[in-house]
Amino acid sequence: MTLLSEAGSLEETDIQKTEHAKDLSRFLARIGAAILIILIAAAAGFLLSPYAPNEPDFLARLSPPSKTHWFGTDQLGRDVATRLLYGGVWSIGLALLITLVGAIAGTAIGLAAGHFGRATDVTLMRVTDSFFAFPELIAAVTIAGVLGPNTVNMVLALILVGWMKFARLVRSLSVDLAHRDFVIQARLNGLPSGRILWRHILPNIGPNLLVLWTNAWSRTILSISGLSFLGFGVQPPNAEWGAMLLDGKAYMQTAPHLMIFPGLAILAAVLSINFVGDRLRDLIGGNGVTAN
Amino acid sequence: MLRFKPRLPRILSSFGTRLLSLACVLFGVSLITFTMTYFAPGDKASAIAHARYPDVQAFPPEILAGIREEFSLNEPFFIQYFQWLARFVQGDFGNSFASNASVWDIFVANIVETLSLTSTALVVGLVSAFALSAVAVWRPGSLSDRMAVALASIGAAMPNYWLGLLLILLFAAQLNWLPAYGTGSPAHLVLPAITLAFWITASQTRLLRAFFLEAKSAPYVETLRLRGVSEAEIFWRHILRHAAVPALTMIGLDVASLLEGTVIVELTFARGGIGSLLAGSVLSRDYPMILFLVMFSALVYVFINSMIELFQDILDPRKSLLVSQKSELSKEART
Repeated sequence: MTLLSEAGSLEETDIQKTEHAKDLSRFLARIGAAILIILIAAAAGFLLSPYAPNEPDFLARLSPPSKTHWFGTDQLGRDVATRLLYGGVWSIGLALLITLVGAIAGTAIGLAAGHFGRATDVTLMRVTDSFFAFPELIAAVTIAGVLGPNTVNMVLALILVGWMKFARLVRSLSVDLAHRDFVIQARLNGLPSGRILWRHILPNIGPNLLVLWTNAWSRTILSISGLSFLGFGVQPPNAEWGAMLLDGKAYMQTAPHLMIFPGLAILAAVLSINFVGDRLRDLIGGNGVTAN
Repeated sequence: MLRFKPRLPRILSSFGTRLLSLACVLFGVSLITFTMTYFAPGDKASAIAHARYPDVQAFPPEILAGIREEFSLNEPFFIQYFQWLARFVQGDFGNSFASNASVWDIFVANIVETLSLTSTALVVGLVSAFALSAVAVWRPGSLSDRMAVALASIGAAMPNYWLGLLLILLFAAQLNWLPAYGTGSPAHLVLPAITLAFWITASQTRLLRAFFLEAKSAPYVETLRLRGVSEAEIFWRHILRHAAVPALTMIGLDVASLLEGTVIVELTFARGGIGSLLAGSVLSRDYPMILFLVMFSALVYVFINSMIELFQDILDPRKSLLVSQKSELSKEART
């Protein structure tokens, strides 16, 4: 994606470029607005709901979807719809936090590797490779489990296993950019290297970083709910989607709606973020070979 | 002659660099793994004591001190690390805290379950991915193509433990056709293997489709078409062959995701195997077991990736540039 999109943008005329940039910024604005709306809607939804996410109602236990409880209730009579909205703020919000920290840390490391000489580059990249060798989920299960399974340790574990992709991308892009004319020109003009990084390198990496970030975001939602489902993340009775599935697993026979709705919520959230990511990649001109 | 001569030294030198960086990465991997368990909270000496004497509740300090002495727990970090590394390299992985049996024996007893699940899922998943993407690119944009793309998108967003739960709900709880949990008969393998295979199919269909499409629009295919070679023959004899090499490389790169998927599926279906072994050891803080399993998964990943890179270099140094660029992407985009 990276080199090919570079080649593609080189051939564009200036007019196409501005059109392109306009398209992109318009689209970005739309994404930002959509995400904000979803998060606010979820937050407002569970605030507006007549039920509290952890409020038991022992007279209405395991009731199927009805007019009063749209998605039914769980084994303690808690309203599933309210818990889904509340859990969405957790799943989506925590994933946002984790990927943002990972993206910032990875970008810093990648820029450092690309710009502070060969020794730094080799050292940092071997460290990145070493971290990369651990399958994400296995490392996260181990870290979160050994530290003690709870939300904070899960967030810590996912940040630790999530920054390398950003470091690799930023490093390869910035090394590539360093040989481009406008960067050489800037260097010849005597600009300090911090300013070159900030004004010339970083803005050109931005779009690719954004695509990777949406990708990481949706996968982190899957990781959070997966870890919680396996018992290494958000612990019940907290309403997180994976934790809700774990909670409802025992009542599969009598109350299948406890299995259906949280899973659908995960699927919908991940799918919609992936679609945004795909569209973004098309806009900046990827080669289409990336998987999700 | 000219084509061949400069290649050998290049491969040798790149082989040397690869080997050096591989050594660095292996060192880093072992350091990270050891650090993770070294700084874990909790007293390791009492964990070992509890494993040794399961009936005793409280231990006098002398015994704990003796254990600390025996396992060098009082030594500084790097001494402990190198002692562990030296033993690990020699193949001495220690005994499990939980059962006091040899870590290696427990691992061997469990790997069979994992291998049978993974290999079944891999075969089923890859065959259906090839079939699906072949049908999809037959007429790009057709209904079957769009269905394949939709399936791939949904599969990428589908949490595989949820798919497992749905399958249990349908085939075990409602229809009562297949057993839901545990291991034993081949029937126990069906639902877990389908769960894992679905994910493999979804992730590979998308890639294979892209490779097939790319191969289909290549100039040599256009030439064959103009020569009057039939579409079927072009596909079977040319496109499939040319897309197979990069596609197999991509599949190799997904080995990390495969390991992750296996862990999740094993735990969802309460199967034995490496994944449930890892989860159990993590919860009981069985450090020798954890150290070994984490090292094992990282080593498998590193080993397979180095083999692929080497393979690419030998096969075609020109192509390796292109594929490694794409494989970078797939690593970034790993699900």
